[in-house]
Amino acid sequence: MSLDFGLIIEQMPDILSGLWVTLWIWVVASILGAALGFLVAAARRYGPAPLDWLLKLYVEILRGNPFLIQLFLLYFGGPFIGLRLEPIPAGLIGLTIYASAYFSEIFRAGFQAVPRGHVEAAQCVGLSRSQILRRILLPEMTMLVLPQCVNMAIILIKETAILSIITVPEMTMVIGAIGSQQYAFVDAMFLLAIFYWVLVEICDWLGRRAEAKLSKFRFAVT
Amino acid sequence: MSFKLFELMLWAAGYTVVLSAISIVIGLTIGLCVCAAKLARSRALSIPATVFISFFRGVPLLVQLLLIYNLLPAIGISVPSVVAAVIGLSLCTAAYQAENLRGGFNSVPKGLLEAADMVGLSPWQQLKRIRAPIALRLTLPALVNEAILILKASSLISVVGVIELTRMAQNLSASTYRPLLFYSVAGGLYLVICWTVAGGGALAERLTRTSRA
Amino acid sequence: MNKRFLMKAALGLTLALGLPLAAPLAAHAEDTLAKVKSTGVLKVGTETAFAPFDFIDTSGEHVGLNVDMFDEIGKELGVKIEWVTLPWDGVFPALEAGKFDIVAGPATITKARVERYRFTVPIAEATVALLKQAGDDSIEKPEDIAGKLVGSGKATAQLAQLQEFGKTLKGGVETREYVSFNEAYADLAAGRIVAVANSLPNIAYVAQQQPDTFAVVKPAFGEPSYFGFIGTKKPEDASLIDAVDAAILKMKKDGRMEKLQEKWFGTTFDTPDTVPEPKV
Repeated sequence: MSLDFGLIIEQMPDILSGLWVTLWIWVVASILGAALGFLVAAARRYGPAPLDWLLKLYVEILRGNPFLIQLFLLYFGGPFIGLRLEPIPAGLIGLTIYASAYFSEIFRAGFQAVPRGHVEAAQCVGLSRSQILRRILLPEMTMLVLPQCVNMAIILIKETAILSIITVPEMTMVIGAIGSQQYAFVDAMFLLAIFYWVLVEICDWLGRRAEAKLSKFRFAVT
Repeated sequence: MSFKLFELMLWAAGYTVVLSAISIVIGLTIGLCVCAAKLARSRALSIPATVFISFFRGVPLLVQLLLIYNLLPAIGISVPSVVAAVIGLSLCTAAYQAENLRGGFNSVPKGLLEAADMVGLSPWQQLKRIRAPIALRLTLPALVNEAILILKASSLISVVGVIELTRMAQNLSASTYRPLLFYSVAGGLYLVICWTVAGGGALAERLTRTSRA
Repeated sequence: MNKRFLMKAALGLTLALGLPLAAPLAAHAEDTLAKVKSTGVLKVGTETAFAPFDFIDTSGEHVGLNVDMFDEIGKELGVKIEWVTLPWDGVFPALEAGKFDIVAGPATITKARVERYRFTVPIAEATVALLKQAGDDSIEKPEDIAGKLVGSGKATAQLAQLQEFGKTLKGGVETREYVSFNEAYADLAAGRIVAVANSLPNIAYVAQQQPDTFAVVKPAFGEPSYFGFIGTKKPEDASLIDAVDAAILKMKKDGRMEKLQEKWFGTTFDTPDTVPEPKV
């Protein structure tokens, strides 16, 4: 190991700022991506058929090619059609759109999986539509989709590393640069791997805890 | 775009497909081993398997590739770019495939195995005739999914010096100053590949379903 | 029972996969020049986003001064050239990891690098200057970038010099680090940054290729410096770099070097015959 840990501590402000950029882009893109994905899923289920086809195309195109290509199109192709985004907004928008496609599929499956009988039973006991949505559909769906949402969030945190390629000053960018400066590239990559690993494990753990908390809504899927 | 450049893109797309396919197959093999280790009663096996899965699922492929490319020589194993890329993709997909397979093996109905025990099938026969076929069929959709994920993930292997579809698009858009065109073409080619694999997967699923009856 | 079987199967497969990988462990350090000559292949690492040294032309071919020079060097050594192309920030780590025998690049000869690597004799000037958008009146001299956003390549000496220069300016300079200079040029054209700091031969070439888009800001702001190819300081690599040095010097003497400079830079210039004391 040739990485000088004294120097690492000296560079701590830079590393922390990189970590911060990674974290906030990840959280914001996950939330916005999930929200957009929910809208897409809802529109596909409850909207008119042509809208469903259009959104299906949107989802399949986004799921059918790599995030890197989408990011390059947005960032380097954008200026040619008058869309000149700075790296961070471009990364945030790119990641959100990318995530929305995957989230929409998760929610679509969720919509389908809530048993019709539960809704019918609620209707029988006289619950209103909004009550059914609030008390039955959303909680049961949340329980169903939570594990996949956590999984997606984990995939997204790893995708943020790709943002370094369009110069977003996130963790990979910052630590990689320190590694190059100190000729300790491998050590820097090692450090980076540990950073992501810990983040992912934390995310996973939080997801499991949330699942346990929500387990009262669990029902047998038939 | 001249035909020659399109041909270059096609060639690069072919390379992407070949490397991804090799990685999927190697990844499946390693995934099987990891899955077996994880299911083992012995902790000496299951703990390393758990760590393996956790690590390769927890670290971005970009970082994994750079580590493999630059770290292996430090322990005396120097591999060319293509091999490093395939190792990286294989290990990454192995972790996911191991989890998928574990799900598959765990869903094999217990009653079937008890019945097999009763009629005196050996463990090997049980694996070959009952557990593996059922688990593999159960994990087929996940395998197709994984193949598509790896095809897309292969867009990152240029960091270890492999010129595949994304890198080719990057090179050509830099030399012709037409990023919109080349990234769109690359995106289109990825779509064709991924949709083909998805379609093939759906077909295979239908075929295995009918053969069960 | 079943699990024990699975375990054995796993162990067997691991061994089967692991053994071929472990075999090269037996290899030990031999003289690199001898190895290159016996295999007939010189592996050269580089980045293909550094016109006019190494780049991809409009027909998708890897071309440039380096390609032509290494063709000649290959002839001198009687070996074929095998290119390994990586993003620039991965090139030095891969050289140290032994992925190739020498780096083309070229890289600016700097104090920090001379301590760690062995440079060949210089092949071109590397003095850093600025590239701006054509017709941008707000930048007439290097000092005009004060307080503005300027791009350069990740892990490059040019970036380091830009940052040093920025410290001397009132208001400093904000820098953005690109994976390669190609992306930096694209962002300059798109107006995301006001200038790109790179060595004169590079930006002169880019400005000449696209005079409507780019222009060079004169004079250069960096200390005079030179470009060289790079090897390691490992004793077994010394003979190879000596041989490459000899080949370059021979090319300088018999006029091949001048011809190549004329071809790629549109001009010729003198470079020292030994690695000069770096000023940066």
